Amino acid sequence: MKLEIKNVSKRYGRKKYGVKDFSLTIEKGILGLLGPNGAGKSTLMKMIATVNKPSEGIILLNKNNIVKDVNYIRQQMGFLPQDFGVYPNLNAFEFLEYMAAVKGVGGVGLKQRIEKLLDGLNLLDVASKPIGKYSGGMKQRIGIAQTLLNDPRIIIFDEPTVGLDPEERVRFRNLISDLATQSIVILSSHIVSDVDIIADEVAIMKKGSLITKGKTQNIIEQVKGKIFETQFDTDVSPRFSDHIKILSTTRYQGKTTVRYVSEVPIEKSTPQKPTLEDAYLYLTHN
Amino acid sequence: MRLFLNIIKLDYLTRVRSYSFLITLCASLAISYTFVPEPNASYSTIRIGDHVGYYNSAWFGYVTATMTSIFLSLIGFYLINTSIKKDIKTKVGQIIASTRIYNTTYLLSKVFSNFLILTTIVSITFLMSIILFTLYNDGFRFELFQFIKPYLIITIPSMFFLSAIAVIFEVILGRYSVIQNILFFIMFSFSLAVSPQSEMRYALDVFGSKIVLDTMEQSVREVLPLEEDSEMTIGYVLGNTTKAKKFSFEGIDFPSYFLVSRLTWMFIGILLVGLVSPFFHRFNMRDILPSEKTVKQILPKAELKDINLTQLPKLQKSTNILPLVRTEVFLLLRKGNKWLWGLNAIGMILLAVLNIEFAHKFVLPILWFLQVNRLSDLTTKEVENDVHYFSFTSLRPISRLLLSQLFAGLLLVLFLALPLTLRYIFLMKFNVVMFIIVGGVFVLFLAAFLGIFTKQKKLFEALFFFITYVNLNQIPFFDYFGGVSQNIDHIFYVFTVIVMMAIAGFYKRYYDLRR
Repeated sequence: MKLEIKNVSKRYGRKKYGVKDFSLTIEKGILGLLGPNGAGKSTLMKMIATVNKPSEGIILLNKNNIVKDVNYIRQQMGFLPQDFGVYPNLNAFEFLEYMAAVKGVGGVGLKQRIEKLLDGLNLLDVASKPIGKYSGGMKQRIGIAQTLLNDPRIIIFDEPTVGLDPEERVRFRNLISDLATQSIVILSSHIVSDVDIIADEVAIMKKGSLITKGKTQNIIEQVKGKIFETQFDTDVSPRFSDHIKILSTTRYQGKTTVRYVSEVPIEKSTPQKPTLEDAYLYLTHN
Repeated sequence: MRLFLNIIKLDYLTRVRSYSFLITLCASLAISYTFVPEPNASYSTIRIGDHVGYYNSAWFGYVTATMTSIFLSLIGFYLINTSIKKDIKTKVGQIIASTRIYNTTYLLSKVFSNFLILTTIVSITFLMSIILFTLYNDGFRFELFQFIKPYLIITIPSMFFLSAIAVIFEVILGRYSVIQNILFFIMFSFSLAVSPQSEMRYALDVFGSKIVLDTMEQSVREVLPLEEDSEMTIGYVLGNTTKAKKFSFEGIDFPSYFLVSRLTWMFIGILLVGLVSPFFHRFNMRDILPSEKTVKQILPKAELKDINLTQLPKLQKSTNILPLVRTEVFLLLRKGNKWLWGLNAIGMILLAVLNIEFAHKFVLPILWFLQVNRLSDLTTKEVENDVHYFSFTSLRPISRLLLSQLFAGLLLVLFLALPLTLRYIFLMKFNVVMFIIVGGVFVLFLAAFLGIFTKQKKLFEALFFFITYVNLNQIPFFDYFGGVSQNIDHIFYVFTVIVMMAIAGFYKRYYDLRR
């Protein structure tokens, strides 16, 4: 299983790009996609999912050009968009049966597969109620169920943990890890810790371009020895020079702690162990 | 005041910047082109017996203004009757509700933005009337005032009153769009049909058209012998093989009471909006949502479990479209209020028991029109429900999904027409059966075609309403189901339109998906 994105651009208007000259190769495992709002993550995912067509470049799945042969990926893909909806008048069973037909799968095992998925997602008891009555988190789970309907070999999750509470997020991360044993999983999230825990590789995007890609540890390495913390009284307002990039500020019992990234630390600073979030903030703000 | 003006401005700009409004303007341009027929055209719009007016400024101005007042009132309602609904959908309403704006001010801002939308369309027909005058120039002098006057006195007040009525309907019947449609239809037909014989009768005419039509009729009567036919026809009447005689129409000196009445109608509109404003929900979700969907009754939360993916049964590839058709049928059947199925059942019984001609001419188009909400989003519901990411990346979305949508829609319209179809089959009138089937297909393809092109359901709703109205008035031009004429040539004409819509619709959907 190999997904190759080659010099892909999505252009809106003459000079405005959603994604610009993007290249990336993904093999089995989880790729975490990080980037600020407007970085082009969703646009890239929609192009892979064949919702949008690239303005330039090609996307190959196992050497098949899916920009031209869209059905090749559609039959083996699971896609959970960021802002998807449902038909409120259908119940969970009907909606998933419909989604199976939409994806071009069926057969004798369909009912049982839907039942097991709904059971795992703890929606079996309410499966005969119209989805219009579900809460946001329950709808999100219906979205997850449809993603897994066709035994997908390539799975695209755009902000999948939105609407899930912390405990559900942990379970969902376990599920994604299971999926990644035999599939390509591309996952975008604003929650860096989600990506940090489960992604085999991380790609960081900014303004439509890829700024770095690699193993989580390799990305963190880029800020090794550059992360510091300093503390001062809250009523003091120290000035930081331009070469210092502040990552976070916390206030506690009259003291303010500032975490920052810099080649050279300022006075009374202590070096800190870098995290993916530090690296992400450093790379996207530089 | 600033907030009031801002809401009007933003609301207006949001609506005119939509693709569907562009389509609406193009349609208005095309329709207004037909308001005054080309001198050798085989149809007429306003004709008194065998007479039409000389193609002078007054004739162009008054005919187009009157036609606009009547027809835009008919379909315009559907173009503007969701202005509050839009604020609910975009959730802008909840922000507005948290400001200090008064209900009346907000509702009036909606009236004015509706009015601006309609005025934009009116200005298109106004410009077209001047272009037509230039095109069909009969050597008469161009008098701008003869164009401006009827639009200002006849059309503009009608549009303002309609804008107010649309807002009032939304406030009172916001949840029940079908009742809104039916009630407006009744009101419209009633106000056109009723003509009180009092001295001030023209003042009671909200569309302001009767004074124009009566004056035209009077002008013809003055030059005609008594026995000659001087019956007035309005609308698109085909087959005028006899060349029309000309009479001179020089405009109208409107009586002062009529001028006052036009302003009064506008004032009544504002007054009614003020009266209903205490009943405005002000975006309180409990008032907006149907009772079974209120927050209280949302199902209890359930935790996510662990899923063992290896234990899930494997599925096979399947291109069978029957599951898609079945779901599309479910979606059609469950759309709207359940009591509408009671009306459908009554309609089907009437098709079975009433005089067959009456059932065909009147019951069938009304029964089909009652499905307007079900059919209007046949090809737009994916986007409306945000399911398009799944649907448009489906396996063969045109040959499987679109086809199943059309098939499900066809099952619905033909099922509703079944009692009448069976009666015609028993009578061995197979050509009429064919007309009914073609009629059903026409409605379906019209919904699909306009949905695909405009990506919204409004234009279909407005046009279907218009077509139903003209069919109930027995105007043959828009007869798509053989209710007025069962001429075999006509069936080919309808069929050709269907084929054209099908080709254009499929191609557009294919093009959109490729993009």
